[in-house]
Amino acid sequence: MSAKGCHHLQGFKKDHKNLESLKWIHAVFVVANTHSSATLKTKICNSYCRTCKKRGPFLHACLECVFLGCHKHIREHMKNQKHTISMDLTYGQIHCNSCYDYVYDAEIDEITMDNKMKCGKFKKRLFEWTSWDATEEERDLLTHRTKKICITPESTIGLRGLWNLGNTCFMNCIIQALMHTPLLRDYFLTKKHKCNEIPGTCLACTVSKLFQGTISASTATATAALDVLHRHCYDTMPKNAIAAEKKDKCPCIIDQIFTGCLQSDVVCQKCKGVSTTFDPILDFSLDLGPVPLDGRQPCSLHDCLERFTRAEDLEDEKILCSNCGSHQVSTKQFTMKTLPIVVSFHLKRFQHLKNEIEKKISTLITFPEMLDMTPFMSRTKHECPIPSDNRYSLFAVINHIGNSMSAGHYIAFVRQQHNSWYKCDDHVITRANLKEVLDSEGYLLFYHKHVLRYE
Amino acid sequence: MPNDYDSKVSLHLDINHGLDRVTELVQTRLIESGWRDQVKLACRKAILENGDKHIPTVDELIAQITPKARSMVPDAVKRELLHELELILTNIDKSGYSKSF
Repeated sequence: MSAKGCHHLQGFKKDHKNLESLKWIHAVFVVANTHSSATLKTKICNSYCRTCKKRGPFLHACLECVFLGCHKHIREHMKNQKHTISMDLTYGQIHCNSCYDYVYDAEIDEITMDNKMKCGKFKKRLFEWTSWDATEEERDLLTHRTKKICITPESTIGLRGLWNLGNTCFMNCIIQALMHTPLLRDYFLTKKHKCNEIPGTCLACTVSKLFQGTISASTATATAALDVLHRHCYDTMPKNAIAAEKKDKCPCIIDQIFTGCLQSDVVCQKCKGVSTTFDPILDFSLDLGPVPLDGRQPCSLHDCLERFTRAEDLEDEKILCSNCGSHQVSTKQFTMKTLPIVVSFHLKRFQHLKNEIEKKISTLITFPEMLDMTPFMSRTKHECPIPSDNRYSLFAVINHIGNSMSAGHYIAFVRQQHNSWYKCDDHVITRANLKEVLDSEGYLLFYHKHVLRYE
Repeated sequence: MPNDYDSKVSLHLDINHGLDRVTELVQTRLIESGWRDQVKLACRKAILENGDKHIPTVDELIAQITPKARSMVPDAVKRELLHELELILTNIDKSGYSKSF
């Protein structure tokens, strides 16, 4: 295809006014800048076919007079009025009626690109994916490493047992769960971690190697491990990136995947004034003991979450209300402002009582494969007309076997390749099924967001 | 302005950016599922089959490929789209038009 369009289009382009109107039509109808309500109004009120009064399909605009028409009627109009150039309003392609085909022109492409760059929101339909231009090194790798791996439901790629080095079963379980966190795995396998630390001192690099090694061949711990990893990620980020993001959110991968935002509303019972605070949250610790009010024990994950997000009386102390300025009895309620991509639940199976040996609560808690978090989200004033998708799917479960915290063994169930489950017991990995996983006791539950959206 | 039910729906879709959201979703899914690449291949094949005598115009190509392309859309994508549209349409009378103007 030539970079210059047909001679009809060249003639059209000679008049500067024509180009101006083309640019305007493209900006209003194709790109539709969402910042300006006037533009949007113009678009919505005029986007219909002048002949059949329908809003499509494939609306085109005549560039030689004021006429909009659907695919069929624009062609009729061009023929009857002897007009030549029209523009498709979905993608902004130029059609020449004399050649009777769409034409490509580099100059017009530049004008439309300029418009696209100015649009407020990223619209994928207007941008082609940039093709991957392999570097010298990558081309070299591609030509010399031609060994192909075929992945079938039977293949065991990515599964690897871990030796118990003496009471390290808890750590093995956590590592297995993290290794099978889809987004974290993708992050490290695509070498997104750019390190500027002294070699050998960076934990994230070690983790990166661990992930790659796996392929070629307990809760305090989980949070601590994440925390350490987080701090390392943060420290090793380029300094200017930190400065740019500091106001908003930590840009590191751990925060992007594991951190949500918890909203806590303290309501004064006298004046009903609400004071709201937001806190980052890495994991949910859920109580299993009898509920103080009705005495019923929770028996499912849903129950536990309901209890977690229920309004709770703060009986012990009176809180200073910022609204009425006095100390009052208040209630406190947690809700989820934003949810992380990976939600981890910690079922508090170990009770720490004063002067007593810690006891394990072995209550049966059922948990689903697919979890909808929508009921536990914060209610906002500006309710979005289209509900967001808050479905999560289970991808790892860590179980404790034994009667007390000081003794016992930890094993992990992990999901691999969408729906195969494996049981990881230190260095022994065996195939498991979903029923076995859902019937297990559950100590730490890891859920991954089911549908990821582009931001 | 046209004012039958169809137009009401598409107006609703336009005003609340529902259409943008749905097109983005379908676009993403079709690329993910490899549908777009399949259609690209089919187009290329159709052009080659015609030989040097006549290169089909875009309109001809659309007419030729559309039935085949439609049948190739994965069922999962159709279901997801249906679900998304249901969500939008159940809200058709709830959200006012005054917000954005």
